[in-house]
Amino acid sequence: MSRSIAYNSSPLLASPTPVWRSKFIVAAIALAFAGLAGRAVYIQVIENDFFQKQGEVRFARTLALPANRGRILDRNGVILASSIPVPSIWAIPEDVDRDPENLKKLAKLLGLTMAELNKKLEDEDKSFVWLKRQVDESVGKEIEALKIKGVYQRKEYKRQYPEGEAAAHVVGFTSVEDMGQEGIELAFNKDLGGRSGSRRVIKDRMGRVVEDVGEQIAPVDGRDLQLSIDSKVQFFAYQTLKDAVLLHKAKAGSVVVMDVKTGEVLALANYPSFVPDKRQNLTGEQLRNRALTDSFEPGSTMKPLVIGLALNTGRVTPQTQVQTAPGRLTIGSATISDSHAHGMLTVSEVIQKSSNIGTAKIALQMPAREMWEMFSSVGFGQKPQVPFPGAVSGRLRPYKGWRPIEQATMSYGYGLSVSLMQLAHAYTMFGRDGDLPPISMLKVDGPVTGQPIFQPKVAQEIRDMLHLVVGPGGTAPKAQTMGYSVGGKTGTAHKQEGRGYAGHRYRGVFAGLAPIDAPRIAVAVMIDEPSDGKYFGGENAAPVFSKTVQQTLRVLGIAPDMKVVPQVVTEAVEESF
Amino acid sequence: MMRINMLLLLCVVVSALYLVNVQYESRHLFSELDRARAQAHKLEVESERLQVEKRAQATSARIESLATLRLQMRPANPAITTYVAYAASTPDPAGAAKPVNPSSSSGQVR
Repeated sequence: MSRSIAYNSSPLLASPTPVWRSKFIVAAIALAFAGLAGRAVYIQVIENDFFQKQGEVRFARTLALPANRGRILDRNGVILASSIPVPSIWAIPEDVDRDPENLKKLAKLLGLTMAELNKKLEDEDKSFVWLKRQVDESVGKEIEALKIKGVYQRKEYKRQYPEGEAAAHVVGFTSVEDMGQEGIELAFNKDLGGRSGSRRVIKDRMGRVVEDVGEQIAPVDGRDLQLSIDSKVQFFAYQTLKDAVLLHKAKAGSVVVMDVKTGEVLALANYPSFVPDKRQNLTGEQLRNRALTDSFEPGSTMKPLVIGLALNTGRVTPQTQVQTAPGRLTIGSATISDSHAHGMLTVSEVIQKSSNIGTAKIALQMPAREMWEMFSSVGFGQKPQVPFPGAVSGRLRPYKGWRPIEQATMSYGYGLSVSLMQLAHAYTMFGRDGDLPPISMLKVDGPVTGQPIFQPKVAQEIRDMLHLVVGPGGTAPKAQTMGYSVGGKTGTAHKQEGRGYAGHRYRGVFAGLAPIDAPRIAVAVMIDEPSDGKYFGGENAAPVFSKTVQQTLRVLGIAPDMKVVPQVVTEAVEESF
Repeated sequence: MMRINMLLLLCVVVSALYLVNVQYESRHLFSELDRARAQAHKLEVESERLQVEKRAQATSARIESLATLRLQMRPANPAITTYVAYAASTPDPAGAAKPVNPSSSSGQVR
């Protein structure tokens, strides 16, 4: 320990290296650290959001949660329309394996020709092409079994309409994108559609969802819609109408059945119709919901309304005598006539025999304003309060411009126009105590109170007159139906053509009630241009009324109110226990 | 002092490992749950599809055509219908409406 070695004075250390070099290294390393720290701050503090986002893009996904479109149900909960996911076939053209054998099979399954399929696949730049949207489940499975490379499937919601053409006009249909296009589907598109939601998730390498991140927006499913339609009544009405239109070689026809107690529409059918699932070659003729979109001159079916007004104001009673001889009446420069000269008729008989002159004479006792007010209050000249696309208001001119001859012709249904729905609606008040319930396409619970138009006594008197129409000596004995008492009014109108009337083109109408003593339903039938010579409403429309009433009352479970001769072969015997 | 520190360190390590495990478990369960949900949705859709299918097989149009063509049936009308009225207060309408009585059905079996 005498002396230590002086390392710092070692000759080895006495190197020529200058001191700044070591300092430089230290500085360089320090700078590198500072750089790293700076970068860390940059990433974690300054541009944090950007990098967070970039990271998330790589593992977080937003999944759309589609909302189910609500179902459309009839009054008994039977499905009229419902959305079902079905496969849609798509392809990436450049990836498609072009094995002709397989492609031929594919084309056959898709119902395409080879040329059509090749055309779809020829554009190789496209990375997505629909081969066919919304095919059947079984077709989808078979295509899957072919295992063609580059051909894929995706589930899409498709609307199913089990009732087919019978309810096509009421229910309507949706587009391939599940948007309402016609009928109830369009009218209530917002309610049915719902609102789709979304959720943000983290997916792992395998594509499994492992975590929810952020807030979920739950989808709001569309509301189920319960219509007032009864699918059985609807079917029978359509079937009967179709048979009648074909039998009378008519151009078209419509029928509306309404519940008198609630103002609900039980059935609304038109012919020609269409199958909602097969809409490739659809014509406007088929698509038209005539009962609402076509207005026509209602002819004699207006008479009960005018007579009702006269009774209501006390101007006449059912027994008041009206002179209709000699079957012609000149008002101003025009002459109106009856098909037969009837002579002296009571007011009841005016309805029963459908006398134009009788009605016109009674109408001319009343001021134009009163008639106009009555017509407006039952909804003529106004859009019916049903949320239906294309419903027309019909034509009712302001009373100030009415000349006496116009008032006279209007009393028997010329010079104003209504839709069949408006006509059926107006007749519901005769089935009640003279009050008019609001029309409803949706199910209504319990009876409703309407807007009073006539006194209850007048409604009763009109019912009696309507009953006479279908009895002996009336214009529509063919409207009678087994077991149920009915009443109604025929109408036969020349069709308007340009400014005048077509001589040989008619429209047969019948509107009535059943059972007549305590009405439950109002039915209106219209047959457009029957061409087999039977052009009277009593001959073409009344039988449709008869059959529709028969089936409807049966479906509604209403016991017959008339005696029928039973044809039951075996008598029922008391059951023994 | 040192010993406590070591103990705490051990605790931290164990807790960290446990956290990793729990995280793993939770992701696992979550994906399970998600799969179950997807399955539920699929079944719901399937049931809806079957309901529609059932309805399509039982529409009035189909019944009518099968009944008239294949079974040669005709529409009922009041003349060939026996109406049975029962009071609204009948306690068991289903029992009253039972079509076949026990004795006759046993007779058929024999």
